Amino acid sequence: MKSMIVIGNSGNRRTTGLQAARARLGLPPVVVLNYSDVLQGGASLGSIAHSLGQAADEPPLLRLDAPGEHFEVERELIALGAPDAATSESDERWHRYNKSLVQPVPARMAQGMQEFKGKLYHPSQWFRGYCRLLSQLDREARQLWPTPRWMNAPKDIAAMFDKRHTHEILSSAGLPVPRRLAPPEAIPDYDTLRDTMVHERTHRLFIKLANGSGACGVIAYQVNPVTGAESAVTTIAVDNFATRPPIFYNVKKLVNYKERHLIRQIINWLLGHGAHIEQWIPKASYWDRTFDIRQLVVAGKACHSIARASRTPITNLHLDSNRMSLTEIGLADDVQHTVRQCAEQTLAAFPSSTVAGIDVLLSSGSYRPYILDVNPFGDLLYHSHYEGYDPYEWEMRIASLPSTI
Amino acid sequence: MSECKLSVDYEQYESGVKIVDLLEELANKGESLQLESLIIGDWGGSYENDSSAIIEALVHLKDRFPQLRSLFIGDMSYEECEVSWINQSNLGPILSAYPELRSLTIKGSTGLSLDPAHHDKLEELTIICGGLGRDVLSSISEGSFKNLKKLELYLGVDDYGFNGSLEDVLPLIEPGKFPRLTYLGLKDSEIQDDIAVAVANAPIVDQLQTLDLSMGTLTDQGAEALILSEKIKKLDLLDLSYHYMSDDMVKRWEQSGLNVDISDQQDADDDDDYRYPSLTE
Repeated sequence: MKSMIVIGNSGNRRTTGLQAARARLGLPPVVVLNYSDVLQGGASLGSIAHSLGQAADEPPLLRLDAPGEHFEVERELIALGAPDAATSESDERWHRYNKSLVQPVPARMAQGMQEFKGKLYHPSQWFRGYCRLLSQLDREARQLWPTPRWMNAPKDIAAMFDKRHTHEILSSAGLPVPRRLAPPEAIPDYDTLRDTMVHERTHRLFIKLANGSGACGVIAYQVNPVTGAESAVTTIAVDNFATRPPIFYNVKKLVNYKERHLIRQIINWLLGHGAHIEQWIPKASYWDRTFDIRQLVVAGKACHSIARASRTPITNLHLDSNRMSLTEIGLADDVQHTVRQCAEQTLAAFPSSTVAGIDVLLSSGSYRPYILDVNPFGDLLYHSHYEGYDPYEWEMRIASLPSTI
Repeated sequence: MSECKLSVDYEQYESGVKIVDLLEELANKGESLQLESLIIGDWGGSYENDSSAIIEALVHLKDRFPQLRSLFIGDMSYEECEVSWINQSNLGPILSAYPELRSLTIKGSTGLSLDPAHHDKLEELTIICGGLGRDVLSSISEGSFKNLKKLELYLGVDDYGFNGSLEDVLPLIEPGKFPRLTYLGLKDSEIQDDIAVAVANAPIVDQLQTLDLSMGTLTDQGAEALILSEKIKKLDLLDLSYHYMSDDMVKRWEQSGLNVDISDQQDADDDDDYRYPSLTE
């Protein structure tokens, strides 16, 4: 029987969806290794493998799933990213940017953090912790199996989870991406950003938290070159206090900030944690909405896709955004083909990965594709079927074919 | 109807394509002689370049578009340019150059003027914007559009260019101003209640089929004046969509037997601050 280990959060909609898909296909349930157990030392790949009683020549399929939507895991990852956390030097290997963290939180303090819904705790330290964990899991798997069968290799996940790194990989591979304003280290703060915008004659940008997901930490920012007026559309909000540091958090509804002092504060915070800044390319529209496309690629082949049509510049926000099929949105066959091809080439830039949700923009007017994002956990798509299978069923079906994953 | 849309998209603007060149290219084709509808979209960096070059070119090339009946200047999405950032110019010369025009739609009011505001055959005039200046309002009310059947004006808000008051809107509804008008849209206004109260019993309503007071800040106060008006009852359609009326008022409209659009009710005490967890994928 084909065994499989998922490193994830048991009981969430991803794990549940995957289990249900396997049940429908007659496959045995996956064994879930919880992030929280790994982080707290209660379980490991080794202990799970041992319980499976695997022979060394029959390695299980390994899947890393999203660590998000679980406060305890978030807290532990921030603790693991702390300067005083007990990790080895070699586990820094995939952490390329933000070498010195802004306002680092000691491990003990991180573990004592209280949940505050929506709060953006410490994105850069969280990511350093996640990179360390990915590195540790990678090493452990290599000790257990000669050739671990990762669906997505931990190293690739670290790269996909950093928009700065993803942009570099895609640019080097010659794939179409919106032009980056400047290398990340060249824009440390708001004032430099404004100077660079003037210098580059670029007035409209997307500023994205380098390690954010979905709409989290994204700002659609523009400066009117005639009047100097600013507009920053984002879900980020800030509470300022007289006696303690400000709190940054997500709100469910987009806010359009016009006040410079607020925009400056939010952008400075974002840049402090690391951001990728690229040109805002006008998206193609469908009636009064503009859209982009989430194209899933599994084992080199484009499969499920949805168009996300929105009246706001940030389409991946569930609120105020319609999910439609590419046919419903009236995309011509050749354009759909271009999107699929582009997404397949994108995943090919990550040779150790077999699943990713690729966000593709079609520019207004010419319908030219641009890759916006590569989501290693981008397969949670509801009501989307390809050849009659939902995304998890499709992946499990492909994975059970000989020598695909 | 033969229709053509010209715009300069992101890649074209980056590589220096000019909308005026595209227009001349179109004008040099034989089909321009048959063209009935022309849509000008983003003219390339519309947030920094105004529409004057395109207006000049259209005036200059008027003989190449003898069949042109419908013109839209500024058809662009917020992705291309925020409506309040679109730089328009004086569109009056278009009216003089195209005496056979029937429909003119303008999007964006920054830098917009209409001088001279005079056209004998124009049937539809629509201005879509975040805020319409009082000078444009007075150009229209002091101008001459004797064949106008549809007037649709987004009045907008102070922040985006509405620098007038009810006094600047009232001349538009004076009796006899637009003898053939059947569709009046005074919409998307931050003084929507005042407008509703002023229009509710105005003589102009007698000649209208449609009154469009949608997309503004209409509350029960303005709605009360409308629902009590005998004139309003005779309309074919009253468009109040996107409003801040109470559930009670919505119910009264539903029971009124009138053809009224009361969709898209806004929540007056919308909780903007609802928070959601991060890192969802």
